Amino acid sequence: MRLNASQITKNFGHRTIVKNVNLTINPGEVVAIFGPNGAGKTTFIKILATLLRPTSGKLDIEGMDAIADYAQVRKTLGVIVHEHLAYSTLTPFENLKFFGQMYGINDLENRCKTLLAEVGLQRFLHEPLHIFSRGMTQRFMIARALLHHPSILLLDEPFSGLDASAKQFAIDRITQERQDGKSILITTHNTELGYLVGTRFFFMINGELEEIAKKGEIEVETLLHLYEERLIDTTSN
Amino acid sequence: MKALRQIAALIRKDLGLQFRSKETLALIFVFSVLVVLIFAFAFGPEFPTEKTERGKLTASVLWAAFVFAGIITLNRSFTIERSHGALHGIRLTGVDASHVYLSKVVSNVVFLFLLEIVITPIALQFFELFDDVTVGIFLKLLGVLSIGTLGFCAVGVLLAGMSTSTNGGESLLSVILLPLVIPIIMGGTKCTVSILVTGGLEDRFWLGMLVGSSLIFLASAYLLADAVIEE
Repeated sequence: MRLNASQITKNFGHRTIVKNVNLTINPGEVVAIFGPNGAGKTTFIKILATLLRPTSGKLDIEGMDAIADYAQVRKTLGVIVHEHLAYSTLTPFENLKFFGQMYGINDLENRCKTLLAEVGLQRFLHEPLHIFSRGMTQRFMIARALLHHPSILLLDEPFSGLDASAKQFAIDRITQERQDGKSILITTHNTELGYLVGTRFFFMINGELEEIAKKGEIEVETLLHLYEERLIDTTSN
Repeated sequence: MKALRQIAALIRKDLGLQFRSKETLALIFVFSVLVVLIFAFAFGPEFPTEKTERGKLTASVLWAAFVFAGIITLNRSFTIERSHGALHGIRLTGVDASHVYLSKVVSNVVFLFLLEIVITPIALQFFELFDDVTVGIFLKLLGVLSIGTLGFCAVGVLLAGMSTSTNGGESLLSVILLPLVIPIIMGGTKCTVSILVTGGLEDRFWLGMLVGSSLIFLASAYLLADAVIEE
């Protein structure tokens, strides 16, 4: 397995945001985690990305202890979170070039140009990031996440705020990366899109992760029905 | 070699971002000139005839201007990193936190040093010392200012990294930074007075304090950089 999270818990003060979560992800898998706002999805993904330390638990990524050897582990991760993790006054090309220098990528200029063309930003190479629409920013974020050929992609709400064509682009890209053998985790509250790209489905509600089914074992309607049921149960409790 | 390449890329990026923001450049320059002007109006139009008194006044004004401009620069330098999570983006590349720290120190020192080169002659002119300052004296002044700026940025970058991650961090930086840099301000001001009045450094004690405190700050902040940037 590429990623193994065991008994991960995260407390902020007296509040427990992530509760004893266990998760493994194998190559070529897309794990889709569905959950409402405030369920702990973003916190969990930040822990997996080594941007937050868990309060307790063990995290192994690519055979390394991700809590102790975080610097090495980070090189294997491509991460998308709510922010674009770059400089808004720089252009996408300048941003990718800078981050590429940090990763020590060879033939960097070509890699940046190819990647930006792949995500459809070739006409905007030299425009600053702050003028980009949400969809264009999301395309840039995908390029930034893929820049160093990571083996694991951690994508927090990759479809949020996207129009139809940008959504289709994100779906196609995730599918392509899975076929290339990458391990992918996405969090979303959109069950239909999550079902479309996912191969294993989980619910995260109140910081607890529950495995629901694999792709062939469940229909999208059943998944949606189950999800709504869980949400109603949680609200009524 | 890889570390040096990373540090060089970080410095290029930091300086590029500082100089690209024309509004901030103008703001910091105008702010520094205003500090000099306020003191000039407060103590003028007739300044003490004694050179020693004018030297003390000019040195104090210069250091006050650079400390306040430095606080704005440091805050700005980390606000850029915090907005849109760019610092997380850097952390995700696996780069050593100490490289990020060193590059921030170098870029802030370079930026403030360039400001000092411009502001110092303006202050000397306002306080009627310009004609007494030869090229040699001016270079000695810049030498002292650069050592002080290094010490100031060494501790300032670390504290700006901490304070900008909290609410109201911009005001917090002044409160936590100023008490710590007192040895640098004392040493720097006394050396500046000595250079302006006598053309050299008469009392080596203050130079020792300036250099010593700057190096101690640099070494200790370097060791703490990982904890601050990672948390």
